[in-house]
Amino acid sequence: MQSQSITKPVSDETLPDHAPGKCLMDRRSFLLTSGLTTATVMVAMTPGVADAQKVPAVVSTYPRKFVAKIGDLKPDVPIDFTYPDEGAYAESMIVRLGVPAGGGIGQDRDIVAFNNYCTHQGGDLGATYKGDTKSLGACPLHLSTYDLTRHGILISGQAYQSLPQVLLELEGDKIMAVGVFGLIFGRYDNLQG
Amino acid sequence: MTTPYYIPETDVPLPPKDAEVLSTACDYCIVACGFKVHRWPVAGNRNGGPKADDNAFGVDFPVEPLGPWVAPNQHNIVLHEGEPHHVVIIPDKSAEHVNTDGDSSLRGGCIAQKCYNPQTPTRDRLKSPMMRIYGILQPVPWDFALDIAAEVGKHVIEKHGEIAYGMKTYSYQFIENTYAITKYALRHISTPNFTFHDTPSDVSSTPGFRDAGFDNFGPAYEDWKNAETLLMCGTDPYETKTILFTQWIMKGIQNGQKAIMMVPRRTAGVAYVEKMGGLWLDIDLGTDLLVVNAIARTIVENGWQDSDWIQKWVNNKWESSSGFGQGTRNTPWQWRTTWGKFQTKGFEDWKKWLLAQDEFTVENAAKVAKIDPAKILKAAEWMGKPRGGKRPKTSIMIEKGFYWSNNTANTEAISALAIICGAGGRPGQVVGRAGGHQRGGQRGGKYPRNKSPMKVPGRRRRALDTDTWMMAGHTRFAHVIGTTWIQSMCGSQQLAKRFHELTVANPHQVRSYDKQEIIDTLKARADSGGMVVINQDIYLVDPIGNRFADIVFPAATWGEEDFMRANGERRLRVYHKFYDPPGEAKPDWWIIAQLAKRMGFDGFDWKNSNDVAEESSRFSRGSRKDFHMIKVAAHREGKTLHQKLGEFGTNGIQGPVFMREDGSLEGTKRLHDTTRVLPETGPASGNVFNKKLTHFNSQTGKCNIQKSPWSLFSDYWEWMKPKGDELWCTSGRTNERWQSGFDDRRRPYIVQRWPDNYVEIHPDDAAARGIESGDMLMVYSERVPGLKETTLGIEGSDYSFSGQMKRGNVELSKAAVTGVAMVTRHIKKGVIYMDFLHTSQPANALEGRIVDWISGNYNYKMGVAKVKKIGVSPYKTTFRSMSFAPRDII
Repeated sequence: MQSQSITKPVSDETLPDHAPGKCLMDRRSFLLTSGLTTATVMVAMTPGVADAQKVPAVVSTYPRKFVAKIGDLKPDVPIDFTYPDEGAYAESMIVRLGVPAGGGIGQDRDIVAFNNYCTHQGGDLGATYKGDTKSLGACPLHLSTYDLTRHGILISGQAYQSLPQVLLELEGDKIMAVGVFGLIFGRYDNLQG
Repeated sequence: MTTPYYIPETDVPLPPKDAEVLSTACDYCIVACGFKVHRWPVAGNRNGGPKADDNAFGVDFPVEPLGPWVAPNQHNIVLHEGEPHHVVIIPDKSAEHVNTDGDSSLRGGCIAQKCYNPQTPTRDRLKSPMMRIYGILQPVPWDFALDIAAEVGKHVIEKHGEIAYGMKTYSYQFIENTYAITKYALRHISTPNFTFHDTPSDVSSTPGFRDAGFDNFGPAYEDWKNAETLLMCGTDPYETKTILFTQWIMKGIQNGQKAIMMVPRRTAGVAYVEKMGGLWLDIDLGTDLLVVNAIARTIVENGWQDSDWIQKWVNNKWESSSGFGQGTRNTPWQWRTTWGKFQTKGFEDWKKWLLAQDEFTVENAAKVAKIDPAKILKAAEWMGKPRGGKRPKTSIMIEKGFYWSNNTANTEAISALAIICGAGGRPGQVVGRAGGHQRGGQRGGKYPRNKSPMKVPGRRRRALDTDTWMMAGHTRFAHVIGTTWIQSMCGSQQLAKRFHELTVANPHQVRSYDKQEIIDTLKARADSGGMVVINQDIYLVDPIGNRFADIVFPAATWGEEDFMRANGERRLRVYHKFYDPPGEAKPDWWIIAQLAKRMGFDGFDWKNSNDVAEESSRFSRGSRKDFHMIKVAAHREGKTLHQKLGEFGTNGIQGPVFMREDGSLEGTKRLHDTTRVLPETGPASGNVFNKKLTHFNSQTGKCNIQKSPWSLFSDYWEWMKPKGDELWCTSGRTNERWQSGFDDRRRPYIVQRWPDNYVEIHPDDAAARGIESGDMLMVYSERVPGLKETTLGIEGSDYSFSGQMKRGNVELSKAAVTGVAMVTRHIKKGVIYMDFLHTSQPANALEGRIVDWISGNYNYKMGVAKVKKIGVSPYKTTFRSMSFAPRDII
């Protein structure tokens, strides 16, 4: 069996619900188009069989999940939620920074969401948000800090990558989480655990 | 060179159960965390699975915190024996030493990104020898390049003497290479025109330690944890030596250690220390000496010194002059101190001198250093005052910010402070360097000091200053290995301009395809007063390789050859080869051997790196990383040295290494361990037991307590200190790029974090100049001092900055370096800070190129500059790259 992925752009209108088992969002498109969406269909092909049979090869996808209403967010007061599932390291936070930020949504582009686990050794960053520096950390394990205005880039410390950013979309006054940018600590695949 | 718009992965392949596992240690900083390389073929698509039974780690994914998680930056694809292989390189999760808890920094953590992979920014690794023909570096075969280099080298030695053959090399990039390089340059060519990457002359980095009798790397990492008071000078070990901080010092602080940091920046380690009740001595540049001596003065005024220790372990008048075992007055410190400026008759004499110097009062030191005097009193109390009837176990750590500010006197002063606190020879009571690069030096020859024409008052010649020698046009052949030379020295316009004049501006340029004609042209260049440059490195370095080199040799490095090296607690490990070097790249020992054979030297017929290591072992005997007995044990067991040391895995073994009676090996936890009991049988078989194991490196085995006069430095400091709208300008490195700069331009995440050099500036200083974070700044100076040629002098008073100024031997040049403004609360007002080794924006160009008169080192951390906004950088308005958040968030 060989597998390959085919990526083709689709418009918002034709997108089916982001229900598990249907399709897989393409993370590069998330970053590069920030809002425009594409769908990736995994197909399995059996060499030698003329009519390759299309089956979903990946059984999960980023869910489209309601996180909060815009009006619920007060400046510099984070709200916790879980994403992309209820499994280990799914705890995340959403915050209105009060300043524009990379990947920020809302009128002022200041609403962002991030996974809550340090991408160094998995320290819990819950309740470490600092309003004056718009940062998460210091991580209780080894003091890493992250800049939430800049896609969770490491400010100082040890982490092997930026903090995974939860990608958000607005649906009226509802904030929906639609994907994660960067591998979540502890997992080998964001959607597989 | 690479995109700053790094796009993170959201999945990573896991190593399968049967992946091969090789141990290694990180290539970068002194700490040298242990790592495991997991390797499996790409062919067959046999990646591991998330279940414990299906992966090499034997754990279920998602893993626990601190578990064997694999970040996408820890994976790469390399060629192994010509076939593509996955490699996953993560810190050793079962490490018993160094990086306990399986910890690592970002630098080492992402070391997989260092591996050559043509699909990544490492694609520009040097892959074949190159020669500058018609002004362009063109690939040529090994034999062609080696023949020409050797012929020209031989000619220069014959016609202009070995002193015209200059060698500037790294001191650390593995024992096999440094042995081969120094055997070639010092034993065979025997040139005094030789030095290492970080100093213009082959001299000690810490003259005061050497005088007192302290080894730079005596302590064990556990000592830094077990100290009850720890003074850290000129470094925040969280930023540099990261894992030494997170796994050792941080645990000490959590256990009640009183930590004191003396640095002008409040980075994360300092912020953590303060949060935990510690102390920040936020001094101005170059004022360390005053503060250290004010602390010492407070201790002796209160009688808090460790009198028992001093009685037993400090040389008295007669011992100070005894020259034990080396002939009277023939120890390094005595020939340097014939001016009578340093030597004392013991503790009381030193104390009398200290109390007589008004500049060392707490009030004066605090005023000049611009700190709160209460902090000096507090530091003295913590370091010396008994707690509950017991003396605190005090330790002292120093690093470059300290010893590259006032090299000789700072290191003399800190040694005296250590001695009176009883630091230096007991568990938890130690003094040492924190360290920079790893310790991979093994000398294969002796520096021929008597051939150096440079001399200062005193009894001996001084090691040749390769910078001034080159400036004077005496170096006709420059052999540069694994260092930038120009930027890593003072990067000055003076130095770069002279390189240009002597190489590409010389009329004798290679414009031929004919080997003999090329050789003749390069010989003619050398004979005409010009200079031929050959360069060995892993990347083409600008400008030494890119603009000035005539021949460039591609080097194979970490992971591409079996190598040995030690870390900051003398822990020796094998760094295993796990993939093929790019193209025709060869390890430096091989390149040197090929040149040596062509020069007609014998003893370079090594077949592999183990041969080199085995030959070098006997030269390590008696040194701090003596590994000779590992070879003896290996041969007894029918193994090679590399095999035997490899058996110790990531734990390695601490040098000096001894063999017990039963043939097993025993390491050395700490040097100068006055509590250590050596076997009664003495140094049986090939073991070497020398003084440094249980005593100090001095003529008597006891410490020399030395004076540290401010007056030898104060004229330079007064001249240097900011005038008008100048600011103190210093440089260093951040956690994210420390000891890894040679790779960092090719590691996308690091480039995203630090795309350009930056200028940390205090909000008040920024506001006064209309500067905001993200602005592009010009940092410049019209008065960068540099010595013209050698040091000119007759009388003792000539050997000072003012003496050289008076004699017209100091040239003031200009320097200008750009950087991105980072307005931050974490830097002291009146000081700016830049990355010292961004090769395209070399901040060292702003630092004075004046050597310390006594030691011969540069005081790299001392400079001044003006700053102005010249525009706005892209980072000010975009969000993908850089961060302007402060580094003190706790």
